[in-house]
Order: sequence, then C-alpha cells, then structure tokens
Amino acid sequence: MKRRNFIKVAAITGATTALDSCGNPEHQLIRFIPEEDLTPGVAEWKPSVCTICPAGCGLMVCVMEGDAEVIRHGQAGLMKMGLAKKLEGNPTHPVNQGKLCPRGQAGLQVTYHPDRLAHPLKRSGPRGSGQFQEISWDEAIRELVSRLAALRSTNQAASLAFLTKPLSGQRRDLIEKFLQAFGAPPGISFEPFDETVLRRANELSFDRPQMPTFDLARANYVMVFGADFLGTWNSPVAQSVAYGVMRQGRAGSRGKFVMVEPRMSQTGANADEWIPAPMGAEGILALGIAHVILNEKLRPSGEAARAGQLVDGWAKGLPDYTPQAVESSTGILPATITRLAREMASHTPGVAIIGGAPLAQTNGLFSALAVNALNALLGNVERPGGLLFTPPLPSNLPAPGGAAPASFAEIRTLVEKAQGLQGLLLYDANPVFACPRSLGVREALEKVPFIASFGNFIDETSVLADLILPDHSPLESWLDHVPESGVPEAVVSLAPPALHPLHNTRAMSDVLLDVACQLGGPLAAALPHRAFEDMLRAAYEGLGGPKKQEPKEAGAAWDKMHAQGGWWSAEVQKPVFPARPVSHRPYANHGPAFDGAEKDYPLHFLPYASPMFLDGSLAHLPWLQETPDPVSTVMWGTSVEMNPRTAGLKGIKQGDLVEVTSQHGSLRAPALISPGIAPDTVAMPVGQGHEHFSRYASGRGANPLAILAPMIEPETGALAWAATRVKISRAGDGRLALFAGGLRQHPQNEGER
Amino acid sequence: MARKWGMVVDLDRCTGCEACVVACRAENNVPTVGEDQAARGRAIHWIRVERYWEGEFPDVRLKFRPVLCQQCDSAPCEPTCPTYASHHTSEGLNAQIYNRCIGTRYCANACPYSVRFFNFYNPVWDKPFHLQLNPDVSVREVGVMEKCTFCVQRIQAAEIQAEGEKRGLKDGEFNPACVQTCPPKAMVFGDLNDPDSEVSRLARSNRATKLLGELGTKPNVTYFEAESWEE
Repeated sequence: MKRRNFIKVAAITGATTALDSCGNPEHQLIRFIPEEDLTPGVAEWKPSVCTICPAGCGLMVCVMEGDAEVIRHGQAGLMKMGLAKKLEGNPTHPVNQGKLCPRGQAGLQVTYHPDRLAHPLKRSGPRGSGQFQEISWDEAIRELVSRLAALRSTNQAASLAFLTKPLSGQRRDLIEKFLQAFGAPPGISFEPFDETVLRRANELSFDRPQMPTFDLARANYVMVFGADFLGTWNSPVAQSVAYGVMRQGRAGSRGKFVMVEPRMSQTGANADEWIPAPMGAEGILALGIAHVILNEKLRPSGEAARAGQLVDGWAKGLPDYTPQAVESSTGILPATITRLAREMASHTPGVAIIGGAPLAQTNGLFSALAVNALNALLGNVERPGGLLFTPPLPSNLPAPGGAAPASFAEIRTLVEKAQGLQGLLLYDANPVFACPRSLGVREALEKVPFIASFGNFIDETSVLADLILPDHSPLESWLDHVPESGVPEAVVSLAPPALHPLHNTRAMSDVLLDVACQLGGPLAAALPHRAFEDMLRAAYEGLGGPKKQEPKEAGAAWDKMHAQGGWWSAEVQKPVFPARPVSHRPYANHGPAFDGAEKDYPLHFLPYASPMFLDGSLAHLPWLQETPDPVSTVMWGTSVEMNPRTAGLKGIKQGDLVEVTSQHGSLRAPALISPGIAPDTVAMPVGQGHEHFSRYASGRGANPLAILAPMIEPETGALAWAATRVKISRAGDGRLALFAGGLRQHPQNEGER
Repeated sequence: MARKWGMVVDLDRCTGCEACVVACRAENNVPTVGEDQAARGRAIHWIRVERYWEGEFPDVRLKFRPVLCQQCDSAPCEPTCPTYASHHTSEGLNAQIYNRCIGTRYCANACPYSVRFFNFYNPVWDKPFHLQLNPDVSVREVGVMEKCTFCVQRIQAAEIQAEGEKRGLKDGEFNPACVQTCPPKAMVFGDLNDPDSEVSRLARSNRATKLLGELGTKPNVTYFEAESWEE
C-alpha cells in the first residue's frame, strides 16, 4: 500500500477525530510501517533541493533500504526504511546541471548528524546554559500558541519578530502571510555576508534589485573584482559549470580570466592574470579601465547609458581616472591598466564581476556602480556572454528570491529595539555568531521575554531559546526555492521529502500552518492549508501550463513537477528592461574609510567565506572539517594568513599562535605563512570559533567576525565587513593540522609533536 | 576485448573546489580521523587536491592538481605485497583485497603517488552517521590499507545491469563519484580500450601528460596541464 493511501485509510478509520483538528494529518500517524516500494540493495533516486546556500541547486538522492533505530510517539523500535546514501546533482536542473559543490555533497551529514535535535525541547536551566528538557509536540505547540495568543490579546502583536535564514518561494511567503495576519512586522532574513550593496547597485544601474547571473560559457573575457565565484559566491556550481566551458569547452577560443584581490582565493588561483589591488580601490581600477576605453574611443560612450550617468564624471570622460591617477591610488602600473582596457574592449563578449570584500567597504556601492558602468560601456548587459538577470516567474508568484535579505542596518535596528520585543521566532539564523561582537546581539536577545526556535541544531543564537520546535532535515521536507540568480530562465526548485523523518521532528512550515489554524481568526483565513504540501501545490500547480479541464491532467502537471525536482520554463525569456531615467545624483568615490588608525593598527583584516563552512553554518559537518581548505590546506581549525614579510617583522613562524587585535576585540589563532597575500593584509576564513554548535565545531578555532568594527556602507546600511584594521603579535606556540606535506602518514617530526 | 578503465583530468578546467574529495568520502565510506590524527598525517583521502605555490608576492601562482590512484599498468604497489592483497584486475584496476591485507604497508612505501592509506584505528561513525554508509562498499578495519577503486562498485553495477539487458555499456553511462560531481567537468572517465570513448579520444590528445610518467609506472590517469591565455 502506498503511504498516501494509508493516510486515506487511516482518515476513514481510527484517527478521524484527531484529523478534524489542526495540523498536517501525517502528524497523527505512527510511522512504523515498512516502505514496500523499496527492494533491498536496489537504489531509488529521488529529487530534492539543496538548501545549504541560496543558489537553489537540484539534488538527486540515492535512497536504499536500511534498518534505523527510530522513536515514534515515545516508542523506540527498529524500522526498515528508505535511507539517503548519497547526494548527486539533478542532471536536468538548469542551475547545477547534475553537479554539486563540496558543501552540497556533505549536506547528507545534516540528516544523520548525532547532535541534530530529535524532539521538541523546553528550556530547563538559566537562559543560554544549554539545559533543555524533552517535551511532546502537543505541549510545544500549545506553549507557542498560548504565548502568541497572549501577545495578540494584549495588543502586543507588533512586538513579535521573526528572524530567518534567507528563504525564498512559499516558505518565505508562508512566514510573511503569517506575520501579516498576526499583525507583526515583516520577517527579517539574515544574510551574514550582506549582499545589499550589489542588489542596490543593480537596481540603480539596471532596475534589477537582485544578484546577477553571468553567461561565462560564452564569455571571451572575464574580469573579477574580489568575487569568489568558483568557490562560495552567488551561484558557484552554475558558475563553475560555465567556467569549464569557457576554458576548454569551445573549439579554439579559450577565454581570459583576470582576478583582482589582495589575497589569492581558490577562485583567484585559476586566473590567467592575478592583480593584487589594495582593499577598497577596485572601483577606481574599473573606472581607470573605463577611462582608457572612453579616451581611446574603443567603445561608443553612449553605450553605458544610465549605468554611466550614475558615475560622477562619466560624461566628461572620467578625467579623474587617468591611468596615472589610478596608479597613485592602486599601485597598478598605467601600462597594465591600458593593456587590460584594450584587451577587454577587443575580446567581447565579456563580463566584469564584483562581489565579496570590495563591496564590504564604506565605498562599496561606488565600486559596484563603477563595475556596472564598465559592463554597460562594454555592451555586456543582457547580451550572450555577458551579464544577465534571472527573470521573475511568469505569474503573480513572489519575485526571485522573495523579499530581499535584510541589511546590517536592519539587524542593528532589531537589536536596538530588542528591549521592546515581547517575542522572537528564530529559523536557522545565527546572528549571535555572525555579527560583530560589539553589536551586542546576544545581550540584546537575552532580554526578549520569549524566544522560540525552529532550527534543528543548537547554535549560539538558538541556545537562548525558551522553546525549540525542531524542523525536519531538508531531505525529509517538502522544499521549494526560487533561485535569484545563476540561470537565464525562471526556475522553481521543488521536491517532496526524499525519506521519512528519522526523529520526532516536524517541518517548520507545517508547524506554522498548525499554529495559524489554532490561533484562528485572520490567521486561519490567511493560511487555510492543513499541510505545506497543499500550499505548494496551490501556488505552483498553475505553472504546469494552462489549467486543464480534467482534474486527472491537472494532477499530471503537478506530479511531473515534483518528480523532476521543479519547474523551469522551456525557453529563455528576454526580460523587459524598463528604461527609466536616472533618479539619483552621480556617485563619486568617498573613501574607503577603515576602522582603526594606520599607525596603531597597521594591517587590513580580510575575513572571507570559508570554502568548506561558508559563513560558519556548516562547521558542524565532520566531512567538511576534514576536507583541507584548498588554498591553506588547513583541516579542523582556523589560521591567520600573512605574507612572509609581515610575519618576519613580528618574528612569527608558521604555526605560531598569533593574537589579532582590532579596536573591538582580539582573537588568537595559529599563523599560516603564505606568498599569496599582500604584506599589508592578514586574512582569516569565517566559519570556526563556535561556542555552541555540535560536538565537532564547538570550541574549535576562532571567529574573525567577532572582532569586526560595525562599519557600514552609508548608502545601503550594509556591513562593511572588510573595513577593519588590526595589529598582530606572537602569543606563543600553536598547532596547525595541515594537509600539504603530510601525505606519507608518518611525518618526520612526529616525535616532536 | 576486455575493458580498461581510465581517466583524463583537465587541469585547465579544474578549479580546486574539492567537490570530488567530499563526493569520494561519501560514496566510499572513507572515515574521518579527527584533528589529532589528521595533524599526524593520518587523514584518509582516496582523492586529494594537491596545491603548489610558485613565485613570490605579487608574482605568485597557485596550481591545483587532483591526485587519485593512477591505476598503473606497471604498478609498484602490486609486486611488493606479500599476501597478494594488492593485485591487478582483468579490467586494469589496481585493486586491494581488504580481508587478505595484513598491513605491512609495503605498498604505501612503494607507491610514488602516496595514494594508499593505512587504517591506524578502527573507523568510527558516531550514531546515526552510520546510517549513511554505502552498503555497496565494505568498511575497512584497523590494520588494513585502502585506496581508490575507480568506484568499482559502480563499475560492477553498470556491468551487471548491461549484461541483464543483453547490451554493451554505453560511454558515459556511469561515472565514479568524483567525476559525476565535478562542477567544471574537469574529469572524464571511461574505457580506454574503446577507441570511440571520450576518455580514449582525449587520452590521445597532444595535451596528454602522465604524472611522474618517467618512473615507468604507465598510469591510466592522464592529465592535461593548464594552458595560458593567447590573444
């Protein structure tokens, strides 16, 4: 018997009374039934969606039968069930085309993690102590409903806040509808590597407030300012697939890739030409190149149109950005600037990309607008081989990406207003870890009278919760995602659960629907669905084409959608480009400004997204802990990367413990001496330094975000996370687990350790 | 003619992302050893991405090279094994029979590529991580050498499937885990004895080089070196 049929039978027989109440009917089932559609030893492949980053890659999950120890409604038992054994990319999915990054491959460990929360919890010790006691789902939901009902009845609904990781599609929509009907302000999605600047720049230049897409497969020239596009940034798998084609997938036309960054990243290592520009000078270099193109009339100057008008001095041919003037602020030779400009102009189509640290400066918006203008000047925008934007879905569904993630300024406002908050709901957002410690997120949240978390791990933020209603793992959930970028066509990634829940967990979306139903009134009217599956179907079924008269055929479109892992339009739609006039004054360069005086804090501090842990949200996976960082080869730890010259001045040797001090705090980590970093810069991967995040990540390494200054890009309020200056000193002996040089399994100096 | 499995790795496409490394660990039940053992050089990686720095700042280059068992035709690991645990299969693989291995580690000493790994301890999967283990791949115990198999379980499954359907194997019908996940498609796998397969076409290219080919190991993994830009 199919599971769905069983539910129907159960509905008719024993469980009718329970099914009359709120919530997903599946919650009433005790799932001790073996799955009969699996043959022992034979793999079945089921679609799913990768939720690790916002790229929205499609997955295929290898499911095989196995024996799992499970607890169902308080009863322990051994159950034969379908278990996920391996994740692969979905070969038909337009974003990742069958491929996965290392983080996507390791996503499997989230489901089987020994420290995943297996049942609802209620705080039993002092707040933040990590002491919780197990409670039932009935109790947990009753508690949440009564807290929310109390807020509503005392007219304090507006003092509820909902903080999530960046979500899109119907999960975002569900939260927004819930909050609106409840009378609370919109949800805040927290993005540690704030991309507000780039979205704002694309809105100003091109009327598209979203992350960009690049047609690298057809590009002949790619100039990248800081963006780790082959590693962690934007849609890395889609970009890597296209990069492979640019390198060797086309007969006789290997594209050139130029990278501009002060520390050689995994992406930068692949460049044909690597240019270490000073931090914050990227926009100046882009305009220097534009100056040469304008001055030598390599491209018609009118081409840049609106994007050009936004840059101060563009109409006059950028007189302040002659190669000589650019050399004085970047140290890059005029001959190099002129050569790059001529190469770029003569090797079209091409694209200039800016992302990451250059935008995390106080002049980040200026730099982004400068690169946008350069792209427009070169005729790269919305052209094959150039810069594209993923079009919106063809109905009145949420725009790609849903509501944009919050800027740092909004997070800061939330923290400042935390005093007045009566309730906080959390979903997989960890601002206590990912915000500068000087912001005082933890101290502010500690004062909120009621915190409930839907996340399925204890982290630095959810440890403060009073009530934890753990979500299913992504593989156990109905998922949808609308990629904001990475594809030239509109895409919905959508999939049913690939396996039954291992633990006594419930999907956040189902719990929210249940709570809305129990609270009744406008909430129940706004969210009439019993289960999230029904809500997804109602939203997306119409995408399968015009509504068919026969219900059987309408069902077929939905079945096809979730069997193939989503919906994508058959052809690439050309988006409409509204040619609205410029409504802003031109932007000039002011800055960059850095926190800390150069004489006291002589070094730039560059935190970067770890190739394995991104913003730290993957540090709990041992597979990723034991995968060496591609550039530093560090395993199971953090390091402070510095040039041999920088280290020599301070008498620091490889592996020595180094103290890094900013005006806002200090940390200690072992030194990694590297030739690939400018002598005026020290760099650290983000991701380690967790206090509470599973047995594998807690108490390991240091967190560079903690010592950042709360510098912002003034136009957007985004965190300028690369605008802090530090000083370093040797603090003692340290230890580094390095992969490089340790292949023989018995190092010479073993006795010394 | 019997099949002969081979691989081509295009270093001009490889970005060093290490998706292959994690995919291999997931597919082949490769254990993690933890920080202390990893610091002693005892981490097990059937495939790794080697990293080479050249030059000094600012004229610095960084090169990546994924290295896995080269499945040599004249494999130095095989004749050193006193128990014939390391042996050559009819399809050209350097195979390891785990329950024959007595852990002399002679093969690891002989291998110039450092792709053979010794289990210093029994592997541990904290429950319920063990539910992820691939039932098609045996878990290796303490005292045993282990290494890349070109995902022989996938080879066998595809061969059995094709045989059942009374047909030959199609080129690219299946791939080892590393090849399947590689985002820039830097790796190509297939039958070198099939002159029409993509891998044998590429292996005949004038870009083809062998890693430490001068040692006479006759590897079945071919590398294409990274190219430079020409205007």
